[in-house]
Amino acid sequence: MNDRNLVRGLFLMMISLGFGLGALQYSVGSLGRAGPGLFPFMVSCLLFLIGVVTVVRSRFVEAVPLDVSMKNIALVMLGLCGFAVVSKFVNMTVGIVFMVFVATLAGTSYSWKRNLKICAGLIAIAFAFQKLLGLNLPLY
Amino acid sequence: MDVLHNLAFGFEHALTWQNLLFCAIGCTVGTLVGLLPGLGPLATISLLLPLTYSIPTGGALIMLAGIYYGAQYGDSVSAITMKIPHASSIVACIDGYQMTLKGKTGLALFTAGVSSFIGGTVAIIVLSFLAPSLGEVAFLFGPADYCALMMVGFVCVSFVTTGSLLNGLAMCLIGVLLGQIGTDVNSGVPRFTFDLPFLAEGVGLVSVALGCFGIAEITKNLDAREERSPFNGKINLMPTWPEFKRIIPSALRGSAVGSFLGILPGGGPVIAQFAAYALDKKVSKYKHEIGSGAIEGVAGQAAADEAAARTSFIPLMSIGIPENAVMALMMAAFIIKGIQPGPNMIAGHPDLFWGLVASMWVGNCFLLLLNVPLVRYWLSVFKIPYNVLFPAILFFCCIGTYSVNNNLDDIFVTAAFGFGGYLFMRLDMDAAPLMLGFILGPMLEENFRRAMLLSRGDLSAFLTRPISGTLIGLIGLFVAWQLVAFFAKVRSPGAPTPAQPEKLEAT
Repeated sequence: MNDRNLVRGLFLMMISLGFGLGALQYSVGSLGRAGPGLFPFMVSCLLFLIGVVTVVRSRFVEAVPLDVSMKNIALVMLGLCGFAVVSKFVNMTVGIVFMVFVATLAGTSYSWKRNLKICAGLIAIAFAFQKLLGLNLPLY
Repeated sequence: MDVLHNLAFGFEHALTWQNLLFCAIGCTVGTLVGLLPGLGPLATISLLLPLTYSIPTGGALIMLAGIYYGAQYGDSVSAITMKIPHASSIVACIDGYQMTLKGKTGLALFTAGVSSFIGGTVAIIVLSFLAPSLGEVAFLFGPADYCALMMVGFVCVSFVTTGSLLNGLAMCLIGVLLGQIGTDVNSGVPRFTFDLPFLAEGVGLVSVALGCFGIAEITKNLDAREERSPFNGKINLMPTWPEFKRIIPSALRGSAVGSFLGILPGGGPVIAQFAAYALDKKVSKYKHEIGSGAIEGVAGQAAADEAAARTSFIPLMSIGIPENAVMALMMAAFIIKGIQPGPNMIAGHPDLFWGLVASMWVGNCFLLLLNVPLVRYWLSVFKIPYNVLFPAILFFCCIGTYSVNNNLDDIFVTAAFGFGGYLFMRLDMDAAPLMLGFILGPMLEENFRRAMLLSRGDLSAFLTRPISGTLIGLIGLFVAWQLVAFFAKVRSPGAPTPAQPEKLEAT
């Protein structure tokens, strides 16, 4: 299973199935009088075909090991989503602080002092955006 | 002398104080952001797109174009000084970095700057003569022809950016499918929205671009866990006269190659650089030196890069079909500002069109006068450690996404695409074709449905019309060639695999 080409093929088939079966929920119609489901269904079929070809092809070429480490992407995602949630319920200033402190966990080194400086800098930039460029940021 | 008249008209618009300022800001900010590790033109444009929302249309387009070629130049600076290429400057790493190793960084940067200027100037002449006449040809295009043209674009971009037709096409199709999310324009049925209100108008372009190019790229750099040492060498910009003389012929060759390749579907800076470099290796007087730090190795590719970046605006502005991912993003920016690029743009908004063309040349002058002498100071952005830089980039991604609709929910979409972009990257799937598919998807569907409506559901309409028939034939030939090449490779497993084109990472 640890073959990048094979996983890619399966991944493509999965996406095409998701969109293709979803498209069938809408009326498909005919070519001359297309419904909303027709075009996505056709594209999904093509994508499924490419997925199948990729899987078949992966049997012929050398396997490339797949390396995925979830830690960094998970931290970055947590930082982003946390920023949105905190900004929604508290305000964006706290959101920035949250994001900086979570996302920097993914870096090569971690320091409270440096994080505080980054926060101060970014909050200053955010205020400049709000006052000078007129962006509508819920900072407080 | 219609063209001269038009250009003068354009300069009138480009040379107002306001537009000069926007052009200068665009070039400067573009260069600075383009210099940052992992941010190529695509990521830079999508990161800075929100800045242009509050600017009047003409100024916004001028600034965006400035950001684009500023980012392009910043890219080649980081390639020459530190061998950190993004999508647009892989070739600059070869001779440019060799020149740095020899202690001639300043000469390489100067060469790149001057050659870009020459390339840009040539391309603007081509642009102002060709775009209006090509725009008239575009009126002959019916819906079926547009469909076929877009498909040619998909095939070419897939092949050029990923080197593998299969992977690239898959990404294009995923992009088309993502473009389907939202309300169907013909019937008003919401598709693939899971009843979420913020998906009713489709997935935001900025979310897709920042997720796939910004966030995925940050995570990739974080996974690599390497701290880059900043550039500390001396920079002596002024060349001697014999050195300067060597720049010109090579830059002119590069400009010609770049101008031509920039117009073709799927063409653009990357392919033009390789072609110009190969040409210089064949015909240059100093061809034995190329590869070990020759001026020609930098001049030709830099000119081609710039020329192709300019001429790739031709199909976008005259036919309305972007031919690579960066142009697709530009088109989206045009549409956000309420301008539909296409054959009607030159006639309907002559001030915007000619103003943009003229501002390209103004931008070139800025690059030459501002960026080349100041580049030594700008290299100091590399002294910022990545641990400080990446939270800041994340913050700009958030602000950029949020300020499109002033909606915090969009940040979740961006995060989701960041995850998707990361998966794509780990599966060795290039996100640039996805961007093209995403932006062209709705247009493709509309034209396809219109063509089918006109022909009453007869698919042969694509083959009987002369323009679309030719284009479809080209696609068929290309696919057949790929199949034959693959089977020939499988049949003879002992034979050495042909040298893969260097992996291009589109950012």
